[in-house]
Amino acid sequence: MKMVRLDKQKFDDFIRELSAEYSIFAPGIVGGKTEFIPIESGEQIDTARQVTDMSAKGIFFPPSEVLFEYDKDGIRAAETSVRPIAVWGMRNCDSRSLIMLDRVFGSAMQMPDDKKFQDPYWKEKYDNSLIFGLACNEPLSTCFCNWFGGGPHNTDGMDVSVIDAGDFFLFEPVSDKGSDIIGKLSSVTDTSEEDKAMAEKLASNAESMMPPLLDLSDLGERLSVLFDEHIWDEISAKCINCGACTFSCPTCHCFDMQDEGRDGKGKRVRIWDSCMFPIFTMEASGHNPRALSRERVRQRVMHKYSYYPENYGEILCTGCGRCVMVCPVNLDIREVLRKILTYKEQVR
Amino acid sequence: MSNSYIPLQMKVSRIGTEDPARTLRTYDLTFVNESEKEAFKYLPGQFCELSILGKGESPFGIASSPTEGDYLRFTVNRTGSVTNDIHYLRNGDIIGMRGPLGNWYPVDDLKGMNVLIIGGGFAFTTLRSLLIYLLDSRDDYKDITVIYGARNPDLFIYKDEIAIWKQRDDVQFHLTIDKPVDGWNDKTGFVPTVTQEVAPSPENTMAIVCGPPIMIKYTLPVLTELGFPDERIYTSLERRMKCGIGKCGRCNIGSKYICIDGPVFSMAELKNIPEMV
Repeated sequence: MKMVRLDKQKFDDFIRELSAEYSIFAPGIVGGKTEFIPIESGEQIDTARQVTDMSAKGIFFPPSEVLFEYDKDGIRAAETSVRPIAVWGMRNCDSRSLIMLDRVFGSAMQMPDDKKFQDPYWKEKYDNSLIFGLACNEPLSTCFCNWFGGGPHNTDGMDVSVIDAGDFFLFEPVSDKGSDIIGKLSSVTDTSEEDKAMAEKLASNAESMMPPLLDLSDLGERLSVLFDEHIWDEISAKCINCGACTFSCPTCHCFDMQDEGRDGKGKRVRIWDSCMFPIFTMEASGHNPRALSRERVRQRVMHKYSYYPENYGEILCTGCGRCVMVCPVNLDIREVLRKILTYKEQVR
Repeated sequence: MSNSYIPLQMKVSRIGTEDPARTLRTYDLTFVNESEKEAFKYLPGQFCELSILGKGESPFGIASSPTEGDYLRFTVNRTGSVTNDIHYLRNGDIIGMRGPLGNWYPVDDLKGMNVLIIGGGFAFTTLRSLLIYLLDSRDDYKDITVIYGARNPDLFIYKDEIAIWKQRDDVQFHLTIDKPVDGWNDKTGFVPTVTQEVAPSPENTMAIVCGPPIMIKYTLPVLTELGFPDERIYTSLERRMKCGIGKCGRCNIGSKYICIDGPVFSMAELKNIPEMV
């Protein structure tokens, strides 16, 4: 497909053009941390850090989202249709996570057609979105997207791939939507052979900075064997169940629904929740199927590397490395995976 | 696009009290909106989320049978903030409802078979639905045997109906309580033990088990011992279901979500799933 170029002096023109049709989200700094925020001009954007502190999932699945409001006259569903969203600066670890989340929220698991529950709040936002990815030229030491089929210049889940080539960006359409928008932009210009060579050089340079691959072909099998093993005591021993990994994770999508209101008036809100918290599964009787830390840590690992793959054929992890960065006790998922692959069974 | 998060409005049309301590109450709910009533199709074993606006939602098995009438019946144990508020409802009050959710007992497969129903405590709700459903087309099924246990005589739900079912000659109804008490003329002992005593024949029989986790855990091996193959043992499991539509992530056992893949599972399905009860 055709590659075009956007000179950085014209970046604000580009943002203006895009704004005519879309609300634009891009990485920006909030309280010293980077996350995806609504922006109006290029000045608000900060893509210096390859991996934003908070993932892009919050654009389509906000940390807190009103499902409906109620009062004495009844219930009114919150407006699900919003102005189409364009995202600038999404790395492949986030764009790939959206494909994974869409399998959960966009459609439903192996259910007959009349039971395919779709999530209107996610679907309206995601289906109408336009995603400009941003290739990683300098992957971080915590990056391991290549373990799961991603890569610093991988374009899965993007509509337009973008490479930062110094004074200019190189755009390449990935989807039909991406082709359409590139055709409409007046701020972009044609590329030269040199530009293409530059793109290839940046990609191969970034690839060379990625960690060696880990053979994960036995992972599902290993996990099914290890369910009752002591390995979970060892892995969870230092975990304090703070949930930082789940909140920063681009693929974690568990939520709670809570009512806020008084005097017969209020709203039901969906908020991010975490399998790390004991109350997550606590039943009214007091019975808790995942009362222990080892059970909760096991659940998180099993969900990502065994259960989700069983249901959808792909691991629910994009190797963004955020959980490695934020964990207060340095519980490193890469080490956990290595341990799982090499652990010798003791029980049964 | 339909929005599965929005509760339908239901009106309380009847309230019954099941136990002397009044912790178990039964509510019949009717649809406020006629078109929603028409669209609502369910089978025994399914559940709903009942919604108290301002407090939240809790999942309850549907205790009525679709063959019964225009109401949905739920028995609610007063144990948390939502169930506490449900207990304050009066006739004519409005409550939110989302459903029907989950799958159902294999009612079509039961035709021409003997049916063994095993229940414990106030988990008898969806089993009541099933039993009524079977009795309403009694000729479609062969022998029907029920084993129902509770901690003490007070804690059986649907006592009036049990008295009627016990009179019928086309249902074998066994009641059991944990420990003997004066004036109790039925069986005593835990459900697994009583199942062993009653020893229902596995011949052309489907077993349906629903009760507290501990009861299920010890009853399933008894059925296996009696000769029931895994494909003919069904149980209904429970977790803290919130969204009810397979998204919120808390009710899974292994790769299955109780709310959409269950709550009804056969033993054969559960064999490969870790941590089932």
